[in-house]
Amino acid sequence: MSAEVAEALLETRRLSKYFGSVIAIKDISMLVRPGTVTCLLGDNGAGKSTLIKTLSGVYEPSEGDYLCDGELIHLHSPRDALARGIATVYQDLAMIPLLSIWRNFFLGSEPTKGWGPFRWFDVHKAREITRDEMAKMGIDIRDPDQPVGTLSGGERQSVAIARAVYFGARVLILDEPTAALGVKQAGVVLRYIVRAKQRGVAVVFITHNPHHAYPVGDHFVILRRGQVYGTFPKEDLAIEQLVQMMAGGAELENLAHELQREAGDDAELRKAVAVLEREVQAVAVEPATVEPQGDATEVPDVVPDGEITPEG
Amino acid sequence: MKIKRWAALALVFALAGAACTGDDNGDGDGDGDGVTQRDFRFVVVTHGQASDPFWSVAANGVEAAGEDMGVTVEYQAPGTFDMVEMAQLIDAAVASQPDGLVVSLPDADALGPSIEAAVAADIPVITMNSGSDVFADLGVLVHVGQTEFEAGLIAGERFAEEGVQNPICLNQEVGNAALDLRCEGFFEGLGVQGDVIAVDLDDPTSTTETVAGALQSNPDIDGILTLGPTGAAPTIAALEESGQLGEIAFATFDLSPEVLEAIDAGDMLFAIDQAQYLQGYLPIVFLTKYLETGALPLGSKDRVLLTGPQIVTAETASQVVEASEQGVR
Amino acid sequence: MATDVEATPRVSDERVRTTGLASRLLSRPELGALVGVVLVYVFFAIVAGDKNFVSLNALSSILNRAAPLGILAIAVALLMIAGEFDLSIGSLLGFSGMAVMIFISPPDAGGFGWPLWPAVGVAVVLTVLTGAINGLLVNVTKLPSFIITLGTLFIFRGLTIAVTRSLTSRTQLSGIDEIPGFELADTLFGTRVELSGANFNITIVWWVGLTALATWMLLRTRIGNWIFGTGGAVEAARNVGVPVSRVKLALFVTTALAAFLVALLQVVQINSADALRGTGMEFEAIIAAVVGGCLLTGGYGSVVGAALGALIFAMVQQGIVITGVDGDWYQVVLGGVLVVAVIFNNFIRRKAASR
Repeated sequence: MSAEVAEALLETRRLSKYFGSVIAIKDISMLVRPGTVTCLLGDNGAGKSTLIKTLSGVYEPSEGDYLCDGELIHLHSPRDALARGIATVYQDLAMIPLLSIWRNFFLGSEPTKGWGPFRWFDVHKAREITRDEMAKMGIDIRDPDQPVGTLSGGERQSVAIARAVYFGARVLILDEPTAALGVKQAGVVLRYIVRAKQRGVAVVFITHNPHHAYPVGDHFVILRRGQVYGTFPKEDLAIEQLVQMMAGGAELENLAHELQREAGDDAELRKAVAVLEREVQAVAVEPATVEPQGDATEVPDVVPDGEITPEG
Repeated sequence: MKIKRWAALALVFALAGAACTGDDNGDGDGDGDGVTQRDFRFVVVTHGQASDPFWSVAANGVEAAGEDMGVTVEYQAPGTFDMVEMAQLIDAAVASQPDGLVVSLPDADALGPSIEAAVAADIPVITMNSGSDVFADLGVLVHVGQTEFEAGLIAGERFAEEGVQNPICLNQEVGNAALDLRCEGFFEGLGVQGDVIAVDLDDPTSTTETVAGALQSNPDIDGILTLGPTGAAPTIAALEESGQLGEIAFATFDLSPEVLEAIDAGDMLFAIDQAQYLQGYLPIVFLTKYLETGALPLGSKDRVLLTGPQIVTAETASQVVEASEQGVR
Repeated sequence: MATDVEATPRVSDERVRTTGLASRLLSRPELGALVGVVLVYVFFAIVAGDKNFVSLNALSSILNRAAPLGILAIAVALLMIAGEFDLSIGSLLGFSGMAVMIFISPPDAGGFGWPLWPAVGVAVVLTVLTGAINGLLVNVTKLPSFIITLGTLFIFRGLTIAVTRSLTSRTQLSGIDEIPGFELADTLFGTRVELSGANFNITIVWWVGLTALATWMLLRTRIGNWIFGTGGAVEAARNVGVPVSRVKLALFVTTALAAFLVALLQVVQINSADALRGTGMEFEAIIAAVVGGCLLTGGYGSVVGAALGALIFAMVQQGIVITGVDGDWYQVVLGGVLVVAVIFNNFIRRKAASR
């Protein structure tokens, strides 16, 4: 699928956002294409949160261009972004625990029947559509009346993703969807990300966990201290390199060089440098001995295909 | 844990049930030696809670009559001066089909329909305490109480004798038509129109402050009439504070131990007693005898059986004190 | 690039049992209240059976007492489901009743001397404004509505007393039956239907009708979904486009209008307005809603449940009097039975949810 070069859906050129004297992000240039998963990686404080809020219309960029479908756009609110098909699923999920799945699914966009002030909520249709959309994501909901609060974290994420996809999201920005989840649940979410991608959605997957990002990503953008540290398509990157970049191996090397320059004759400092250099070796990677992974369209089978079961 | 919860629930239900059934015969239990027990049940609904010092005396009268007559009596009143609730209480009482109903009538418009329903259900009704001018059209047999306007007149005439020129009248239960009549009669008897000052019978502190404020803002006030002990006691306190106790003509309606002491000490001119104990006691007696004989007293004037005004002055105050402390006067 | 993925065929799992109608019914919020109604009725039928509790007369006195509370409980329940409280509803009841009477009372009594229906119209507008004030204060200050409406409880009650006394020197006004145009008002708000000796107020019709309307609105319209969403998780609802501020404003206006309707019903039926009327009814309405299954924290509840809660309340109140419990003990028994009712309701709900 990544062999086709599809038109870029979203593009940022030297996007920057300042808060007073603080530079949150600077000169971010990236491309997001439909039917691909772009992973946005970086440690805490790297600027991921600011970047996605700018992409989803919460913030307006201080500098740089933001293009959608090749046109320059200015988003003033998340509603503007939604109108263009840019949907964001935040960690807090915008799900209401006490309400049933179908009520949550259609909150704010309820299908109606009738006319004028006597329009009513087409409950039957809502239930049916919820069932169908979740099925398209590979989940069989036996009881759409079940309150969302009884679902597990991964299942709730999937409802949120299914909702965004149903309401016409062309770009789905997921903010740390696996951060609070256990291994099994994370696998569930990763599978749904692949499903969404297969339906043609462009997924922007924000995470600080390279082990989650690597299996599903087509394209990796690594942020560090507000700037783009590197941009890599999957064929050019091995998982170990990704981990190393995330763990800051290059920084350790720089630190070792600095100390060496200062150390001179000081025995204590020389010892410290030695320790650091050993660490750098441990994290470093020999490019020649590693084989880059191919395209992964198969998600490792972490959970069996199944229905949503209420947990807890 | 589950058993504990069930046990707790069962206990609460049992207590509630016991409270409901327990008081059935509590009031007119007639273990009074040698009193003939009669199979009558009378419900008394008044607008005054038994926690009100005036009404607790009336409630005592009701209870005593129940014992003396050997009948069952029930006393009900709304939590606050709320005519809507009182009408609903009367409806409930009527639904329980008592042998007789005793009601106070501070608002004939609000309570009229409920009383008429009682009369239509063939329940004999006697009114007491308030409503002396409006009870007759409702089908009520007789009214036991005091005609308020006339009582107010007498008070006004007494004040006139003292040469009062700047009176105020303190109303502690605005909305009670009977009290309005008292102030009206008072100003008429005095020949001078003064101010009616409203106070809250539930809040003695604020009443004291209100009176003190009135005295301060108008130093010409030389006569105060209060309409009940919940107005009188705070006024005594306010007058003590301003040092005017005994210098301003001060009288009240209805008795209480503090009032009687003040009269005895010369700080108050007199009190007009409507003998609310009798207002609670007599209707029970009348209903009992009416059911047995078909006859009942027709009253001194327009089917009103007057229990007041009984003027208590310094001469008679000390005798009445003891009765007041026992809650029968 | 495929944009449509084959839906996974629905596999029926033998571990799943179909949730039947009975199970669905059990998990409804009204269930506890319904069981409560039956239990309380049976309780008093036993304890006060000889006092004629099971009779048309007793039933009429119960329904008449439940109806005004029930109307208030509808609005309070809707607001509670949306996560807010209106403690000023009792004061608004006194306020609106008194407003009507001041407008129609003759000028020599301190009133405005207006004809009946324009007076009612202006009073409605005034009441809507007070509700809007509550809503605006809550939306703008973002303070808990409990606190805001506690303040307006005093402000509006105080205004009612102060303005009435300064205009008329009284706190009670009567005489609406002498105003031309009263006949229609009497028919709409004051009719009493007699059924073999028992009198039923038309308030009951208003109560039942409004409950049905509110239930339909809550469960079968968009606004109803928004109300649930606002109460369940307000930020989440806002994020998906629910107009949270407008929903809350509308609901505060609804509580004010409910207070107005009950005030008007009482003024016409009792022929007087009193500045103190409605005192304490805000708490009774909240109790009715909670007994009926509404969560104090919002996001869950039912209008039918609140109606049943009002019915339970009235049954207990009248039941105690019919039984003959001495007036002194009335409040003790009332409070006790209500606490039991709420605990019981909670118990049933949790039982049902765990099935």
